[in-house]
Amino acid sequence: MKKIPKIILYVILFIASLIWIYPYIWMFMGSFKPSDQIFTTFWPSRFTAEHYRFILETAEKMHRPFVRALGNSIIISVIVTVSVIVSSAIIGYAISRLRFKGRNIVFNFIIFQMLFPGFLFIVPLYVLIRALNLTDTLSAVILPSLMSAWGIFMFAQSYKSIPKEFIEAARMDGAREFWIIAKIMVPLTGSTASIVGLFTFIGIWDNFMWPLIVIRDYDKMPLSVLLASFNHEYGSYVGPLLAGSVIQTIPMVLIFLIFRKYFLQGISMSLK
Amino acid sequence: MGLKSLRRIEATKGWSISTVYFIYTAIFWGYPFFWLFILALSKWNFLTPRKFIWFNNFIKMFQDELFWRVVLNTFNFMLYYIPMVLGLSLLFAIALTKIKFFKTFFVLAFLVANVSSGVAYSIIFQRLFAINGPLNKFIYALTGKTIPWFSEPQLAILSIAMMVTWKFIGYYGLILFSGLNSIPKSLYEAAELDGATGWKKFWKITLPLLNPSIVMVLVLAISLVFGIFTEPYLITGGGPMKRTFTFQMMVYTTAFQKLDPGYASTLAIVAALMSFGCVILTRKLIEREVEYA
Repeated sequence: MKKIPKIILYVILFIASLIWIYPYIWMFMGSFKPSDQIFTTFWPSRFTAEHYRFILETAEKMHRPFVRALGNSIIISVIVTVSVIVSSAIIGYAISRLRFKGRNIVFNFIIFQMLFPGFLFIVPLYVLIRALNLTDTLSAVILPSLMSAWGIFMFAQSYKSIPKEFIEAARMDGAREFWIIAKIMVPLTGSTASIVGLFTFIGIWDNFMWPLIVIRDYDKMPLSVLLASFNHEYGSYVGPLLAGSVIQTIPMVLIFLIFRKYFLQGISMSLK
Repeated sequence: MGLKSLRRIEATKGWSISTVYFIYTAIFWGYPFFWLFILALSKWNFLTPRKFIWFNNFIKMFQDELFWRVVLNTFNFMLYYIPMVLGLSLLFAIALTKIKFFKTFFVLAFLVANVSSGVAYSIIFQRLFAINGPLNKFIYALTGKTIPWFSEPQLAILSIAMMVTWKFIGYYGLILFSGLNSIPKSLYEAAELDGATGWKKFWKITLPLLNPSIVMVLVLAISLVFGIFTEPYLITGGGPMKRTFTFQMMVYTTAFQKLDPGYASTLAIVAALMSFGCVILTRKLIEREVEYA
């Protein structure tokens, strides 16, 4: 590829990168522009926080409680992420490092589960949630996501690289299994916990179809669903919608930027 | 304590942990899995008693024009999406192998799109592509015309394909990039000694040895197409003329607006089967054994 000078390649990549982040820039700038300038200027005559005030205060009076929705999203995402990390760390340990009859069956079953796309289960899972009387509760979103076959698989795979002498030595000293998991296995495979946590958090924070189905009560909606319903009913309130989109996006992007190293590792790990 | 009893304790621990998982899975995976098939063979509206109608839902599906519309839409979407996303992520991956500086910046710029919220980016692109939006302003300034991105059927499909492409180039690009990096440099050097040109090296070395990564990207992209919901639900509502109506939108409206969970389950099963079918077909047609000579 000597024919294309390097500098042109850099220029193209640079322009492409700008195009790729432009939607983010437009959203972020737009959320601070006066309403009449959102579509007309790139750099507005003044910046304003009125859209944030609208979405966080005024919308409350229209019975679209965005602060509450943000709280719901945080509760759901934190509980699910912590639960998936802890349960996967323990179950992954059992199926990769404890010797018992039928261990391979459990392991193969978990791989078998991963073959089925999530959308297959939506209708019957709704029937179950309805039978348990859990519609319009946060539990309806939390319970089906508490454990993850993928998370268990990721932990089980990475534990395999830890020498068994480590575990045996700890057992000799009388360590309990949970202590071994918490103090030896998880720290030695530190990136796995980060990878599983990162992907789980992003997935559950951005989950849309499932909470849309099980939650109709505005007070119980996560941010994604309330924002979508606001977009549907008040589509002309572009400023507040952009402000809401910024609030919905920031936790995901922030966590991605903090854990970006693990995001890259996660991509290459799930390929193996 | 003897070795034997230690072994027994270890096995007990293993089994008790596995049992916890099995109980959870039985409730939130096994039970729905079982009911998926029962529902697919039933007529029900969530309220009155359920009736077995055996394969009537499947027969109904084959006579349902909307189902065939959705099948066509899905392949129509793939026709735009797959070449676009594969071509561009390949270009991105190749570009990454050619540069030394700013690599992290470029990777992050493309990857940050992948962690955008589905709802938020649908709202944003709906405004960006609107008739009075920034994109059309730009096009109008250049050509004096505007493009009705979401109201003309083929354009609406293309627009959504472009949005999803925007989201996934970084991710797929990195998969291909790690594939490119695993190709031994010595192969290129040997080919250069034989006088091979750039294109020849690409066709004879890069593309064949990149096969596993390309298959991986294709499998991910195809599975994704059958699961699309958020973008058309928020932006086009399935229109214009039902051309952006996807499998997931049909499952959603059938189950929760037309209150026909039986037929919706049938559609979900068929969507999954078609997705598996496309993946298997792709592997059959494209997958090659890779040998590093």
